Amino acid sequence: MFPCPHTQDVSAHPIFHYMKNTCSRTRALVAGAAFSLSAAWAPAQTGGDARYQKLEDEVRALRQQMTTMQEQHSREMAELKALFQKQAAAPADTPQTPIAQGAAAPATSLYESIKQSAEVLVPQSVDGKNADLDLSVVLDMYFYHDDTSEGVSHLKEHLRGFGHRHDGQEDHHHGSENGFNLRHVELSLSAEVDPYFRAWTTVAVDEDGAEFEEAVLQTTSLPYGLTLSGGKIKSGIGRINRQHSHNWDFWDQPLVYDLFFGAHGLSEKGVQLTWLAPTPFYLLFGTEVFNGDNEHSFSMSDADNMPQHDAPRLYTAFMKTGPDLGPNNALQFGLSALSGRHQVWDEDEDAGADGHARIFGTDFVYKYDAKRSHGEGDFILQGEYFYRDQDLDDPVGAWRDLPAWTMRQDGYYVQGLYGFLPCWRTGLRWDQVGLINDVQNPEEGDISCGDSYRLAAMLDWKLSEFSLLRFQAGHGWYATEDGREDAWECALQWQVTFGEHGAHDF
Amino acid sequence: MKRVILILLAAACLTQTQAAEKIRIMATTTDLADIIRVVAGDAAEVSCITTGREDPHTLTAKPSFIVRARDADVWVRVGMELEIGWEPVILREARNKRIRVGMPHHIDASLNVQRLEVPTQSVTRDQGDVHPEGNPHYWLDPLNGRMVAATIAERLVALYPERKADFEKNLHAFERDLDTHMFGAVLAAQCGGEALWRALIEKRLDAFLKGQGASDKAGGWYAALRPHRGKTIVTYHRSWPYLAERFGLKADIQLEPKPGIPPSAKHLAEVIADVESRHAKVILQEPFYNTKAAEFVASKTGARVLVVPTMTGGSPGASNYLGMLDNVIAKLSAAL
Repeated sequence: MFPCPHTQDVSAHPIFHYMKNTCSRTRALVAGAAFSLSAAWAPAQTGGDARYQKLEDEVRALRQQMTTMQEQHSREMAELKALFQKQAAAPADTPQTPIAQGAAAPATSLYESIKQSAEVLVPQSVDGKNADLDLSVVLDMYFYHDDTSEGVSHLKEHLRGFGHRHDGQEDHHHGSENGFNLRHVELSLSAEVDPYFRAWTTVAVDEDGAEFEEAVLQTTSLPYGLTLSGGKIKSGIGRINRQHSHNWDFWDQPLVYDLFFGAHGLSEKGVQLTWLAPTPFYLLFGTEVFNGDNEHSFSMSDADNMPQHDAPRLYTAFMKTGPDLGPNNALQFGLSALSGRHQVWDEDEDAGADGHARIFGTDFVYKYDAKRSHGEGDFILQGEYFYRDQDLDDPVGAWRDLPAWTMRQDGYYVQGLYGFLPCWRTGLRWDQVGLINDVQNPEEGDISCGDSYRLAAMLDWKLSEFSLLRFQAGHGWYATEDGREDAWECALQWQVTFGEHGAHDF
Repeated sequence: MKRVILILLAAACLTQTQAAEKIRIMATTTDLADIIRVVAGDAAEVSCITTGREDPHTLTAKPSFIVRARDADVWVRVGMELEIGWEPVILREARNKRIRVGMPHHIDASLNVQRLEVPTQSVTRDQGDVHPEGNPHYWLDPLNGRMVAATIAERLVALYPERKADFEKNLHAFERDLDTHMFGAVLAAQCGGEALWRALIEKRLDAFLKGQGASDKAGGWYAALRPHRGKTIVTYHRSWPYLAERFGLKADIQLEPKPGIPPSAKHLAEVIADVESRHAKVILQEPFYNTKAAEFVASKTGARVLVVPTMTGGSPGASNYLGMLDNVIAKLSAAL
């Protein structure tokens, strides 16, 4: 009787729901009217004329009522249809509220009427999106070649003075082999937990297994510029220590990081407190308390006759500051200090030494922003220096009456990067360790071990925010236990990120 | 050490006392900053992250931004994911609870704008840098500039009710100014800005003007671009659909093969064919992109390369929001 519009393309429209409602309401009214009519009719047959008359009047009244309703309904339908057609014909961004014609002042302001239409058009789910878990995956592969017999990674492990003694345990091997290498697949999850915390985890999966690079819970609502983090944290010391390998500007990390902290940098279980000072310039202080399980600088031996020390065993402090140099330039300086316990153990000699290690570091980065697209003309100059002082003055086993272990060593790197075309960068890095390399050990006494250095040139092409191709070639001169050796190495790296891609830190 | 702490405390007190005087508003882009300066007037001290000369999609979250965000009372962003590459870092590092996303002191200026190019199906990165909430360059439609001003004013009134009268007075002055720029002083005075805008968005402005006997009184940006309705312009990035849509131009040819992907030779060959078949006369380009691709297409087709600002501060003549639009529209109408 009152057909509803059932065209497919309109069924999703909000107006359609309104029309449907009107339709069913009218239907119900009509059905109700018919029912009361038939109910009234039945007793009327046995009654008198007066009742007939009354019923007739009632019927007439009902009929009239129905006609009015019918008219009203078809008028409503026509209005809605007209409005609907106008909606369909006009582009989606015109307001849905009918607007009074002419210069007569309309009931709502222009702002209000557009605001209402904007609210209809923007799905609320868009705002809720941020509550979701962000997942990102980084694939990092490279083709590698060097011209040494045992590999540059082997040379790095046997640099004179730096060669670290294995505890007899199988070391997690991070060397590159000639040919194709899969560095790892990095899985990151992050989310705002609740109004008080955010959390993130980064798991690096490689062919040997999976390892937590980070698993951090961080406060978001502490007062006075304080932030407290806990979990397995990439320490805030230095500059590139915080960066995951996919954020490095070169294919590999500088020698000093490799030798002092290892392939994953200083990443430790513990807590971190940072304070953004209320100064007119950027000034951040941080301090950390860690277990101290870094194999290279702050490790504990499992050997039975070594003294055991309860964690936490490693304490750090760092500071970062930078002036405001206007829109094109940015500068940041940092200072770091680390102090913790360290042990070495030599299984063959059945001897070991226990003591302290301290590291002091300073870093800087300068960035020039040319204000062109895709990094064209941008320039970055960055460098870090670390000094390490290890005093293992408590010898154990066969070394008991021999001179103590002491090591004073340092290392630095300086690198520059320049965007010579949109999406294309080239870079140069000079890398040196062991300018100071004074080692005293129980077997050899005082020795001076010499330095190792390396020069690397890099060319990379960011096809988009999410994929990168990089070529790097370098030559290194290494002071190894077998004398001075030099080596060429090169790598072609490709790296893609998929899923959410978080914003980068400075 | 004691002295250092004392100096730090003194600095802390200093920043605290300043807060009592003026509302410190930090805007992500220059257009927002200019609109806020007008709407908030003397009540606010406005600072801004971009300069108008850079690509707003990619920016480094510098320490100096973090310091300013730490001290900000109100944060205003363009939204629609324009700042996704750097805003999260600044807001996280600033440790300023009030201005975190979703808080009353965090204003998303896109809240009430008319959006274009909102994807109707799911977006993949195969399509390039497509924003799932729609094209974020909405400020290039003057009506959206008007909406942004009103949105900001509305929120500022809610946050600082004691200055309601000032904010509303400033907003109305800004709207009058914008309407005058859009339709010309004569027409805006005769018909009223709101009525003209309503007629324009309902696509009945010509009829409306005829009804008012004001067909020949149109001025401003509307009159400048009216003769060029239906013409095709080429653009580098999809920064211009809002301007094109508002003034009836067609801006569907891009030098970028996909948003955020620099031009390739193969794509430029297609662009050249399109430019020739559709007789496009202008290649509109943002100041921060490399002009090589545009010049190449221009040399093959005879179209003119027009480098115009997309943001306030993007060129010497574009020192404020209305001036920026003035600049763009004057150059465009002269070249078309």
